[in-house]
Amino acid sequence: MGEGSPAGAVSLVKSRFLTTGRGIAGDPALLVTVAVLWALLALFVLFPLVELIQRAFVDEGHVTLAPLAAVLSDENHRSSFFNSLFLAASVGVLGTALGFLFALTSVRGGLGRHWLTCLDAAALLPLVSPPFTTSISIIFSFGPKGFISHDLLGFTNVSPYGYWSTALAETLTYFPIAYLTLRPILAAIDPNLEEMASSLGGSRWRIFRTVTLPLAVPGFANAFLLLFAASLADFATPLILAGNSFPVLPTQAYLQITGMFDFKGGAVLSLVLLVPAAAVFLLQRYWVGRRVYVTVTGKVGQRSRSRALAPWVAWLLTAGCFLVAALIVYFYALLLWASLVRAFGANNSFTLNHYRVIFTEGLPAIRDTLIIAAIGMPLGGLYGVLVGYLIARRRFPGQRAMELVAMINYALPGTIVGIGYLIAFNDPPVALTGGVLIIIACYIFRYSPTGIRATVALLQQIDRSIEEASSSLGAGSGETFRRVTLPLIAPAFFAGLGVVFIRSMTAISATIFLVSISWTLITVRILENMTELALGPAAAFSVFVIVVVFVVVAILSAVLARLRAPAAGAAARSFLGG
Amino acid sequence: MKKIVGALAVVAGLLGLLTGAQAAEPLNVYSIWPENYARPMFEEFEKASGIKVNFLRFSSGEALARVIAEKGNPRVDVLFGGPVETFAAGIKEGIFEPYKSPSFDKLPARFKHADGQWTAIADDPLVFMTNTAFLKAHNLQPPASWDDLLNPAYKNMLQMADARTSGTAVTRIFSVLEVNKRDEDKAFAYLKKLRQNVQVYTKSGGGGTLPVGLGQAGGGIFFIVDALETREKGYDITISLPKEGIGAAAEAIALIKGAKHPVEAKKLIDFATSAAMQSKLSQHKIGFVPANPDVKTDPAVAAVLKGANIIPIDDAYAGANRKRIVDKWVKEVLPAQ
Repeated sequence: MGEGSPAGAVSLVKSRFLTTGRGIAGDPALLVTVAVLWALLALFVLFPLVELIQRAFVDEGHVTLAPLAAVLSDENHRSSFFNSLFLAASVGVLGTALGFLFALTSVRGGLGRHWLTCLDAAALLPLVSPPFTTSISIIFSFGPKGFISHDLLGFTNVSPYGYWSTALAETLTYFPIAYLTLRPILAAIDPNLEEMASSLGGSRWRIFRTVTLPLAVPGFANAFLLLFAASLADFATPLILAGNSFPVLPTQAYLQITGMFDFKGGAVLSLVLLVPAAAVFLLQRYWVGRRVYVTVTGKVGQRSRSRALAPWVAWLLTAGCFLVAALIVYFYALLLWASLVRAFGANNSFTLNHYRVIFTEGLPAIRDTLIIAAIGMPLGGLYGVLVGYLIARRRFPGQRAMELVAMINYALPGTIVGIGYLIAFNDPPVALTGGVLIIIACYIFRYSPTGIRATVALLQQIDRSIEEASSSLGAGSGETFRRVTLPLIAPAFFAGLGVVFIRSMTAISATIFLVSISWTLITVRILENMTELALGPAAAFSVFVIVVVFVVVAILSAVLARLRAPAAGAAARSFLGG
Repeated sequence: MKKIVGALAVVAGLLGLLTGAQAAEPLNVYSIWPENYARPMFEEFEKASGIKVNFLRFSSGEALARVIAEKGNPRVDVLFGGPVETFAAGIKEGIFEPYKSPSFDKLPARFKHADGQWTAIADDPLVFMTNTAFLKAHNLQPPASWDDLLNPAYKNMLQMADARTSGTAVTRIFSVLEVNKRDEDKAFAYLKKLRQNVQVYTKSGGGGTLPVGLGQAGGGIFFIVDALETREKGYDITISLPKEGIGAAAEAIALIKGAKHPVEAKKLIDFATSAAMQSKLSQHKIGFVPANPDVKTDPAVAAVLKGANIIPIDDAYAGANRKRIVDKWVKEVLPAQ
């Protein structure tokens, strides 16, 4: 339909009128949906945050900054704060470097398909397993009698606790996020560009430095900030590995609340985390996030096989990647082994007893976790596409505010969200602690934003005219959404679903505050077992979680591949990257 | 859009159902005893009474925090196991309902609260547990005095529990206080020196047992039950006791005020305080010292404790000072390096 023709102009005017001109007042379905969503967001995002802030800063009706002053003047807390930032920055740098290594090797290394699949599988392993699984392997590998530090390298007096081990564990856990962020960016850099530079006489190193790297810079910034935020929110790894000489804030807040029953102290400590978390989120979203898209939009011409890397460099990069992958696989093999022997390190005879234990005594935790994941998954997926659709396609007052509010629980460290829920929903009017709804709600509002973003990204690539055609043919907004838009954004729906499922199986930082006698979670059992004597069951639980998540991810990937919708690949990426 | 609204309504209804559900369930218990000690006891109880126990394990600090938080609407009926000073601290919060089981009168005074706020089900002395190979490699005798643990040979090689979450840690700190005649300055000076040798303070009382068993740590201070369990699993460890004396925590049970299943809860307390349960400890190789005088201590446990100087922790003193002492430990000992 040519826009120059009168008919085209008329239809354009008409459709504009239909989609944007008809306000929220003229569309009751939209009005109700928006109202319901706002009610849910107010209850599960704003209310807990307000309650948390109030608990921290209001004392008997007076606003007081005394608790904050107390935290800031306490040297332990101050050093925890700086430790958290330092750790997050280290993980950001190391993880981005490692992610870049993997991305470069995967895009420019000239590896075969099967090798790439192997590398990907190893790299994704830490992302789909409970967060502290690498921690426990690190303790056994790098302690005074560690398999690597002592048995292999002969060191006798190394401590597996502290900054380095925590940074290593978090880097290995989160670098796949950087890898998934950087790979598409590198892939989108037209090899012809490098080719041209080469034919103009640039050396490989010079081209890499002056062409490839600058184009990847926004990607670096993005990856760094994502890793920074992930580390800032991680509480389980430091709980096991940081020891007492390197306290970090999320762990301190957890101990303050669960151990010492100091809600106020815990609330204040967690709110201190809010400042860097919010700063990083806003930077990532409004500054770096935009730049990334700019570099990717360049038209890609005829692909030439990249010769950007000298063979020996490619070989070296590949070796580096496989070394890291081998380390990861070794960590998980150790875990598998611990789940299959009677007493790790003392009695190495084979047994399936730990699996028997988790499927009998541990069954309630498995059952609860699967129920929660199964309920949270479709709701989270639906919520994600609904909000994403409203943000990308509809116009209504408060739209930007809704977009921002929907992101809050995602951007905040889990400790804040968990503590906020605990404080807000412990007493009437909305007493939810002890039930299952509080855990499900926590997962939906914390992990669906990935689905929202995937939906928005997808819809931005789909021409509005398709939906306009539907409207102009007389379909209502509901029917258009269901019959036209929904099939188009199905990939985002499945991506959102996947994230909620993976996080339901593996997350702990928020939900550890929300488990109860009636509803418990595998991750919490793993942590409890790990901090007790029961390494065997902890390892068996972890192996079980990894297997289940891998199977579900494989199924969802197959579904996504089948959908073949535009940008299904992008949705698949966001599904793990979030 | 109508369908979406409909779907939302269905979802809301479903969620409402889920919050209301989970009503008719068995006896609910927070256990401070680790699962592998508590579960066999609850299974014996179920065999004897037909009542199923639904339990969740927490370290003592966490369990106490939860019961206090849920005071308005108790979610469990019984707090099971855990050192007595946890229970003493709970009395101040008014979370227990006094109850005297049939075994109550039989028990020595230190194994019960005068009003029946709690009753002891076992006694649990602390011990020093060291890795045998570590001792040999460093030419060390098993530590026989608190000062032995200050030996630089143990630098960065001791593991013990964090007082913020673990009752084991609190009993340990009160042991040091008792050994130092409750002179807090002296006790804390010692604790700060001990800090120099500590590799890590673990969340749970038994958290350090596996590292010690594997030689990742040289030793630590643990409850006898955890030390014996480590040996039982096959790790080569040495158990020793300080000549100055070491604390023992009575492990208690209590009825929660406002319990939803008080009849069944009392049955569990009757069972746990009687010979019926405590005679099973030895059978299940759980190395607690029975509190009920009718039950004989397991020979293996008795052998370890022969000639030991055990100091019972005074629950009134410990309960009254617990929070202050733990705060002080967090502020002064933890960062001392």
